[in-house]
Amino acid sequence: MPEAAPEAAVEAAFAAIAEVDRLMSAHRADSDVGRLNRAAGRRVEVHPWTFEVLELALELHRASAGVFDVTVMPPARDAAPGRLVLLPGPAARLLGPEARLDLGGIAKGYAVDRALSALRTTGAGAGVVNAGGDIAAFGPEEVPVSVRDPRRPDRLLWRLHLRDAALASSGGRHDPAHGREVAAPAVLHPATRRPAPGVAGATVVAPSCLLADALTKVVMLAGTASLPVLRRFGAAAALVPAEGDALSTPDWPGSAARLAA
Amino acid sequence: MDGWLRWTLPVAAVVASTAPVQAARYLGLEQAQRAAFPEAAAFREAHVVYRPEDVAAIERLSGVRVRSRGEQVWRAEAGDGRLVGFFVLDYVIGKHLAIDYAVALTADGRVRRVEVLEYRESYGGEVAERCWMAQFEGKTLRDPLEVDRDVRNISGATLSSHHVAEGVRRVLAIYEALLRRG
Repeated sequence: MPEAAPEAAVEAAFAAIAEVDRLMSAHRADSDVGRLNRAAGRRVEVHPWTFEVLELALELHRASAGVFDVTVMPPARDAAPGRLVLLPGPAARLLGPEARLDLGGIAKGYAVDRALSALRTTGAGAGVVNAGGDIAAFGPEEVPVSVRDPRRPDRLLWRLHLRDAALASSGGRHDPAHGREVAAPAVLHPATRRPAPGVAGATVVAPSCLLADALTKVVMLAGTASLPVLRRFGAAAALVPAEGDALSTPDWPGSAARLAA
Repeated sequence: MDGWLRWTLPVAAVVASTAPVQAARYLGLEQAQRAAFPEAAAFREAHVVYRPEDVAAIERLSGVRVRSRGEQVWRAEAGDGRLVGFFVLDYVIGKHLAIDYAVALTADGRVRRVEVLEYRESYGGEVAERCWMAQFEGKTLRDPLEVDRDVRNISGATLSSHHVAEGVRRVLAIYEALLRRG
C-alpha cells in the first residue's frame, strides 16, 4: 500500500464510525433513531445503513421468537409491545405509543463492520477494528484475541484467533479500577424487563460484527436455547452460566486460556 | 443443553503462553466420565479443598509437589447409590502448557482408566494415545509409576510422560489421604 494510504484508510474508518453514531444514536434527536422515536408512528425516511440494521433486527426478532427486540418499552408498564415496520424509501415506522427504538445493542457492531469496509475500500490488504471488545478482522493474518472470564474478570477464559470474522461479548460490566466486582449485565429480557438470570457472559464469533453483537444478546437472554439461532446465522458461541461449567457450540474456535499463577 | 460442549476448567491457574499453539480437545467431561464408568448411573460432585495437613500427606505419599488448592472429584455411583469409583479431573504441565486429564479410580483406589481431555502443545500429544494411557490401569501407590521403570517413555514427549505419571501418582495419593474414607 502506498505510504500515505494507511492514514487515509484509518481516517475513513473513523469517519464511518462517526457516521453510524450520527445515524443511530438514541441520544441524538436528529439521528434516524431519534426521529423515529419522536414520529408517533409516522413514516420516517432513514439512511440505507440504518435500514440494513433494522432489517437484521427484524429478522433476528422473528428467528429468536421475540427474545431479540430493539423496540424497548418502559419498565413496569403493561402496554402492548412496540412494532417496527420497514417501508420502501428506505423508510420505517415505529408503532406503539410507548415504544422506543434502541439500537445500542447492535449499532456498535455495525460501526465496526462499516469501519472495516472503509479500510477495504481504500485498498488495505488487511485490517482489524476493535471498538471496546467488538472486533472484526479481514485479510490473510490471524488476529489473536483473549476473552475475560465474566465471573472473574481478572482471569482470561478463552484464547482464539480471528480471521475474516468478527467477535463480540456481552456480560457484566467490569471496571478494572474497582477490582474484581462485576456489575449486573445491561441486557434486559423484553418480557420481564429485568436482567435475565443464568448467563454471566457470552461471546459470539460471526461473519459480521453486527451479527456477533446482536447474537450476544440472544445468547445472554436465551442461554442454551439460542443454538438454532446461532446455527441459522452461521455463528459460534461460548457462554458462561452464573454457576457451573462454561459451554460452547461445537464449532467454537477458542481454546481455554490460563493466567500466570 | 443439547448440542453444547461443556468446558470444565481446573481450579488453579498455570503459566500463560504468548504464542499460538495447536490445541486438541479430545473429550468433554461427561464423555470422559461415561467412558470410564459406563455402568454408573450418576456422577456426584465431591470436590476437595486441601487443608495444610492434606497437602503434606499427599506430598509425602506421592513424592510429588502439590501445586493447586484442591481437586475436582466426582463419585461414580450405581443406580442404588453404591460407590463404583472416583473420577478425578486434574492437570499437569507438559512442556509449558497444561494437559487436562482425568484419572478414574475403582472404589478401592486402583487406577481404572486415564483419559486426556485437552492437550495444548504442538508436540508430545502422544500421551493422549490409548495404548500409552492403558499402562496405568490397575496401578496403585505401591507401584513405582516412574517413566522408564514401569511407565513407557515416549520419544519427543518425555516431559509430558513424566508429568502425567507424576500426576497419576499424586491422584492415587489424594485417594489415600482424602477419598478412601468416603
